[in-house]
Amino acid sequence: MKVQRYKNAHLILLSVLMMTWPVMAAVHVQCPGDIDGDAVIDVPDPFHPSNACLHLGAGDGFSIMADGTEMYTFGFSNLTGVPPEMAMHHGMMAAQIPAPTIEVEEGDEFYLSLTNVGMMMRPDLFDPHTVHFHGFPQAASIFDGMPGASIAINMGASLTYYYNIVEPGTYIYHCHVEATEHMQMGMLGNLYVNPAQNNLPDGTDLNGFIHHTGYTYAYNDGDGTSYYDVGYPLQFSGFDRIFHEKHLAVQPLPFAEMADTYSMINGRGYPDTLLPADDPSRPYQPVTSLIEATVGQKILLRLSNLSTTDFFTIRVLGLPMRVIGKDAKLLRGPTGADLTYNTSSITMGGGETNDVIIDTTGAAAGTYFLYTTNLNFLSNDAEDYGGIMTEIRLN
Amino acid sequence: MNNTSYKTRALLVFLTAGLCLISGNAGAEIPGITGPTFNLSARADCIYGGDGLGILIWGYADGDNRGQYPGPTLLVAEDQTVVINLTNIDIPEPVSIVFPGQVGVQATGGAAGVITREASIGETVTYTFTASEPGTYLYNSGSHADLQVEMGLFGAMIIRPAMGQQYAYNDAQSYFDVEYLFLMSELDLRIHDAIAFGQPYDTSTFFPVYWFLNGRNAPDTMEENFVPWLPTQPYNCMPMMMPGQKLLCRFIGAGRQSHPFHTHGNHFAIIARDGRLMSSAPGSGIDLMEKAFSVGTAPGQTYDAIFEWTGEKLGWDMYGHQQDRDEAPTGNFPGPEDIDHDGDGVFDEVMMEMHEYEPDHGKPFPVDLPQNQDLTFGEMYNGSPFLGGEGLLPPGQGGFNPMGAFVYMWHSHTEKELTNNDIFPGGLMTHLMIMPHMMP
Repeated sequence: MKVQRYKNAHLILLSVLMMTWPVMAAVHVQCPGDIDGDAVIDVPDPFHPSNACLHLGAGDGFSIMADGTEMYTFGFSNLTGVPPEMAMHHGMMAAQIPAPTIEVEEGDEFYLSLTNVGMMMRPDLFDPHTVHFHGFPQAASIFDGMPGASIAINMGASLTYYYNIVEPGTYIYHCHVEATEHMQMGMLGNLYVNPAQNNLPDGTDLNGFIHHTGYTYAYNDGDGTSYYDVGYPLQFSGFDRIFHEKHLAVQPLPFAEMADTYSMINGRGYPDTLLPADDPSRPYQPVTSLIEATVGQKILLRLSNLSTTDFFTIRVLGLPMRVIGKDAKLLRGPTGADLTYNTSSITMGGGETNDVIIDTTGAAAGTYFLYTTNLNFLSNDAEDYGGIMTEIRLN
Repeated sequence: MNNTSYKTRALLVFLTAGLCLISGNAGAEIPGITGPTFNLSARADCIYGGDGLGILIWGYADGDNRGQYPGPTLLVAEDQTVVINLTNIDIPEPVSIVFPGQVGVQATGGAAGVITREASIGETVTYTFTASEPGTYLYNSGSHADLQVEMGLFGAMIIRPAMGQQYAYNDAQSYFDVEYLFLMSELDLRIHDAIAFGQPYDTSTFFPVYWFLNGRNAPDTMEENFVPWLPTQPYNCMPMMMPGQKLLCRFIGAGRQSHPFHTHGNHFAIIARDGRLMSSAPGSGIDLMEKAFSVGTAPGQTYDAIFEWTGEKLGWDMYGHQQDRDEAPTGNFPGPEDIDHDGDGVFDEVMMEMHEYEPDHGKPFPVDLPQNQDLTFGEMYNGSPFLGGEGLLPPGQGGFNPMGAFVYMWHSHTEKELTNNDIFPGGLMTHLMIMPHMMP
């Protein structure tokens, strides 16, 4: 016991030193193995052999809609790798729509530090922020991000969330402070957990399905049901132009009148959905929704709806959709019943996720369309031929 | 953990036990009226929005009582012959009830309407059927429903199975410890104002501005049942449970909109839809059960789901047992709670809580929390990240959670619906409270 204690002495010292940090209300990243506070692991910590770290900033910014309109937003930015003394500088006016995609592995200890960088365009506000890991199983309320039930971080300070990642699947995350407002303003992001089945030894027999190194799955299915070659998260959401304009103009916010006029996939309306990732014309909307695959491949679509106003029905024209997961669970009954199904449309309310596999075997090469059948959402405000639509290009 | 805090914990146990006796157990049983014969009336009355606005409604009532929103929850046993006498007191058009999910409903009295017999003012119509299938059901007006359901003529009916009061269906897997109703509806204020003032109304331009759980807007959803200041909205929606318990949610979509209901905290298992078990064949159990963290309850639809929570695999000891145990592995940070009570040179074993996940026992809290001035505290935060814990909070912060429960928002994820007539927060929202177990 004493030896064990002695081994931990450096950690004790570290935690004593760290106790002086929060007093300064400074940026404070907590990440085992990170020495310089930028959320990048420098020396792996033997007590946390498989930890993952991320540093998010929460603040405001502007996005460009597909019709060219600039829209005031709240959002998250990725500050991982940024020295702590520069984090506020990098995070201000850097809100991304959607929030930086979070991809973690089953078995990870995930340390997510959130720094509230303040709202530059709304100096009258002193809103705190949180991260709600939506769907996290067996959550503790302290790390749930629901401000009424626990804590939220004030401007100029950092809060570190800890998640022991045990269940693979497609989740989402968003800020839960004044949820109707902060979510309408854009604090929404993709989040998914890769299963341990990805890391099986080469040649493992999964009930007749032979696993090979490099194979990827959505779930620990035990039979290859959720195998895919290429995966894309597609998050559906919307902006109400008037709500955002009134926000920037420091006007009372129209909650009852809220009605989305810009409907988007991953923070962009069609045809911007087709722009590549990190396209310089959309500096704060870096996520592409263009789906590219080769005939014969299986495409995994991680669908989620984070609209604050509407249900969406999503259709893929000309390719079969097989729904294999919902709400971060493989569609399989408690005694093994196969609950997956083929469909050409899938309806999702806010806060729902679905995993769809498109098997392109036998399909003709070419361009296929994925879009909402709620046809009024095929628009970018007053401009038609936009909104929730993207393309699946098969080579 | 020193003796003082043990005493505090013990005191909290008594407090918790007391509260359970007063409200917990009472809340764990869905309030309603028992049959098999029900004498209902339909009458105009007034409810209060979460913002305090008085709103005219038409409600079903138990006999001569006031109309209520929603109508009385009808509690029925399987195979009973249910008789419902409905008298129209003052609704200026014929009213009725239909019973989706029931077969062989006989209607007598009143006058023939389009889809069932209905009662004009002063008339009584009688509906009779056999409650053949246990489950969660909606009942609502079958007359001029686009207006009358909007005005409030709807309610829940629960048919309890022969298997027993603690089962939702005649299947052992449908066992529950506590049950709560989540009846969702919404209200277009313009229609109610028009009826109140005798003006023309239009149900085709439906634009709700209030969203309800069991007839109340948040935060009223979290008040007690039958509070005197909500005389026509008797039912709350305040789910409470302890780790390891099974909480049955009876979801009903009673209005015109679909609501994606989301549970923070964990997934739930959907065991039935529209009063029928998720089962491929009789005798095969709930083999089509699905787990989800949201359910898109469509108008007229019902779902039964069982929610469980133990906090397992959090990776830290949610009860705050920071003592080292006698056996390896340890690796704990020594803290003020590491006490060797009996002086034998090792830290004392701390008893496991009921349903505690053993591998997390004694694991330290994984991060340093920011200091108070960097935080905004929720009204339901008790100052401690631990279940049953307590901590110091700045004056005026917290205070609604003296038991140190873990609290989770349960709500419509169409976040617009978390408002009361343009005011955030409110609407179709409540909280789950997970109470600490009683200490040994």
